[in-house]
Amino acid sequence: MKNIIKRTLALALVLVMSTTALFGCSSDTDTYKTYFSTSYSSLNYYATSYATVREIVTNCIDGLVEPDVYGNYVASLAESWTHNDDYTVWTFKIRAGQKWIDHTGAETEYALTAQDFVDGIRYIGDPLNGAYSLRVVRNLISGLYDYYWGLDDIDCGLDTETNRDELVASFSDIVGVKALDEYTVEYTLDSGAPYFLSLIESSMLLLPVEYDYAMELGEDFGVDNEHMLYCGAYYVSEFQRDKLIKLTKNEHYWDAKNVTLSAVEYQMIPDGTTSLEMFQRGEIHYTSVESEAYQALKDGSLGDSLIPNEFSFSTNYLWLDYQGANPEFNTFVQNENFRKALQAAVNRESLGALREPVDPSRLVRNTINAEGAIFNSEGVDYTQLEPLKAVANANYSADPAAARNYMEAAVAELCNEDGTIKGVTAGTVDYLPVIKTEVDGKLPVSLIYVGTDDEDEIILAQLFEAMVEEAIGKDYIDVVLAFDTSGDFYGTVGGSVDGPFNYDIYWDSLSTGYADPSGILTRITSEGVENVGCYNVPEFDALIEKALEADTFDERLNYFAQAEAYLLEGAYMIPVISSLRGYHLSYEVPFTAPRCLYGNIRYKGMQISANPITLEEYNKYEADWEAKKNAAN
Amino acid sequence: MAKYILKRIVRSLITVSIVFFVVFMPLRFMPLNGYFPDEMIKETDEATRMTYLRNLGLLDHPLIQLGRFVKNLFRGDLGRSITVYAKVPIATLLVEKIPVTAFLGFWSMLLGIVAGLAMGLMMVRFKDKLGDTLGNGYIMIVRAVPSLIYLFFIQIWVSKWFNLPLVYYDYKPLSWILPIVSLSLSSVAWYALWLRRFMVDEENQDYVKFATVKGLSKKAVLKKHVFRNAIIPLSAYLPSDLLNIISGSLVIETLYAIPGTGGLLTTAIKEQDNPLVQVLVLMYAVVSIFGVFFGDLLLAFVDPRIKLTED
Repeated sequence: MKNIIKRTLALALVLVMSTTALFGCSSDTDTYKTYFSTSYSSLNYYATSYATVREIVTNCIDGLVEPDVYGNYVASLAESWTHNDDYTVWTFKIRAGQKWIDHTGAETEYALTAQDFVDGIRYIGDPLNGAYSLRVVRNLISGLYDYYWGLDDIDCGLDTETNRDELVASFSDIVGVKALDEYTVEYTLDSGAPYFLSLIESSMLLLPVEYDYAMELGEDFGVDNEHMLYCGAYYVSEFQRDKLIKLTKNEHYWDAKNVTLSAVEYQMIPDGTTSLEMFQRGEIHYTSVESEAYQALKDGSLGDSLIPNEFSFSTNYLWLDYQGANPEFNTFVQNENFRKALQAAVNRESLGALREPVDPSRLVRNTINAEGAIFNSEGVDYTQLEPLKAVANANYSADPAAARNYMEAAVAELCNEDGTIKGVTAGTVDYLPVIKTEVDGKLPVSLIYVGTDDEDEIILAQLFEAMVEEAIGKDYIDVVLAFDTSGDFYGTVGGSVDGPFNYDIYWDSLSTGYADPSGILTRITSEGVENVGCYNVPEFDALIEKALEADTFDERLNYFAQAEAYLLEGAYMIPVISSLRGYHLSYEVPFTAPRCLYGNIRYKGMQISANPITLEEYNKYEADWEAKKNAAN
Repeated sequence: MAKYILKRIVRSLITVSIVFFVVFMPLRFMPLNGYFPDEMIKETDEATRMTYLRNLGLLDHPLIQLGRFVKNLFRGDLGRSITVYAKVPIATLLVEKIPVTAFLGFWSMLLGIVAGLAMGLMMVRFKDKLGDTLGNGYIMIVRAVPSLIYLFFIQIWVSKWFNLPLVYYDYKPLSWILPIVSLSLSSVAWYALWLRRFMVDEENQDYVKFATVKGLSKKAVLKKHVFRNAIIPLSAYLPSDLLNIISGSLVIETLYAIPGTGGLLTTAIKEQDNPLVQVLVLMYAVVSIFGVFFGDLLLAFVDPRIKLTED
């Protein structure tokens, strides 16, 4: 009996040891192996906003233009393009002779024509197709807004006179996108959009679709790789939901010679420790590394290869409520000195250190729109245009006494000598279901900071409380922390101009989605859909109007810069840090892939090194890239 | 007996219906924002969000939604996921995910039973000796230490020692080993613990003392009398265990990137995917209730002394 057990154990060990050769380090430089960490809902690129899907779609469905390695827009499915003087009409000449391919890589009978771009807009314009994040495109393309809501009125019974089929048939007459001929598509926009090419890069809503095919599939369109057609550098050849996605090179692709990788494999790895371990074992070519893990890794064998993540266009800011139920805060928040006291009290590097303990200064951001995202015709960064430049480069934490001084000025204007706040009486602040508390109408001013019950956010809130009370003084301000446990923060606390307004201050983020400040700034005007604190700043609104009516792109940016500076100098909202975090380890040869600024990754042209790239190598590649970019421009 | 079975089936169906209704209705009163990711709430106006929900039928009266679901259910249409896997047919999801979870679950159940019973036997055979102490130590560790700690340890270090894959691949049998072992750890402890308890209990029965007095060896008494009687109560749990292999484990499926059903219900509830929640609750309710039912039947089958009816 004992012998049998011994033999079985020995056999098992031999089996385990002998098969280890099947695993381990891959030196394959033709297939890029990466991962995704969260499930994604669907491959339907019009009805999802998941980052992984964006990556897949960007590589499998070509748009009209694409960025090159320097971030300049070059021809993709459009061979050439023109626009009128005010950027309201854009005309693209489509590459002839292209066909959609299926999930086996075989060409289908469907030719890729200008009509497919028209049909993309037709698809998202129908509410029944459930397209996501429509606002920017729907408000930009002429007639699309009316078409969408016209159909919706019919669907919900508000319009009983119009025939739905007739309205759908009149799409081409109503909506500003037309196929002028088989290979020419023209977009007519409601307002000038010099940034339109960047919108094509960032928005999946402007991608083409084979309409007959999509309509035939109905709700099944995009549910997996077999229910999609492809026209990009890759197609999805293998698809195991929540497990594996394989992109294989499209041999019929118009630019196949520049597609360097034969395949890209995504596998799901939900846990950061596992992805790091797999990278160390050579099973994947890329892993992100949280800042917390940096210290543990920096002295190890991969320490030299830890590369800081480069940029994030998402900005975290403090949102102030201008019509909340807290009479003390409500009185003070209308006062510029009080807002500036808060602006000066928040130590950005300290908050940044929660995410990036090694070098928190690289997270500090004073502007709403991100640096490095928008440039004028001379290549000047938008955040460095006057007068925004002063805000962007300011060090609000430089003077420790500033917050107190501003607060004293505010108190002098708003309080009586006995410390009571003018016009404010004691009462109850009802921010239920988050918090209900009493205020006495006297100093210190009660400020209710509301956050989610996420562990990181709780620490952030506690730090905010400590730094504000220390900088301004507990005799002047009392920060009360409250945390929403509903799981529906925006529905319970804020997040909509229609309320609820159950907060005085909360922490939020906005992201620069394309190469124009309007993407954010038009949303946060006094009447803007994102002005959830409901401030009223006519001067800001007027400058936004001027920007939108400007004759040239540079003039437009100048007005936007003035508007953003006005809002921030008045501290109506308080940007703090970018959402940048962490490091990465990678085999990707830096700067060989197209330079996508707006949230996508393109594999066309990417090269893989035999070993992980070191930070030193990365810096050399970067310097070389910068030099070539400057020479090219 | 047939009458009893019929009665139990009817009662089970009523219970399933009540459970389903109790879950279905509150889902309809959840906040509407819960149907959207935060990004979409910020990117879209309320009118567009309402249009989106209306077109999914989520603004209809709850009873109308209930009627529609039941009607489609009888047609064999489980509906489509709305948030977790937008528009993907739920039947497709279940066909994709259940086999993966069930496969690993079946082998882990088998391993749990075999290893658990073996450990239980060893603990009784060597009661108050090293074998018993080791068994108790294992049970204590599995039950007292947070599972994430030892599961994570197994994934990272055991995989390294034996050069096993870190995550699950359906085409690499070696990658199945750690998930199966991890899944079976608690059931090994459970079967060992209860077998030991039942056997120790049986050892004090008069018939065991009689058999010992008759001169039978301890080994023979344990094998022929005690084990056979002690295993009877455990057999009642087998049908439930077998049916529950489809439910999966959130932690282990996450650690090993197993595309199964573990955590599916949690995610569906969190993202307010009503159709998916409904189907999963219905499925799990059927499994649980019929698991108990089949357990009772099995008990009566393996032990003729147990009568399910008065006759």
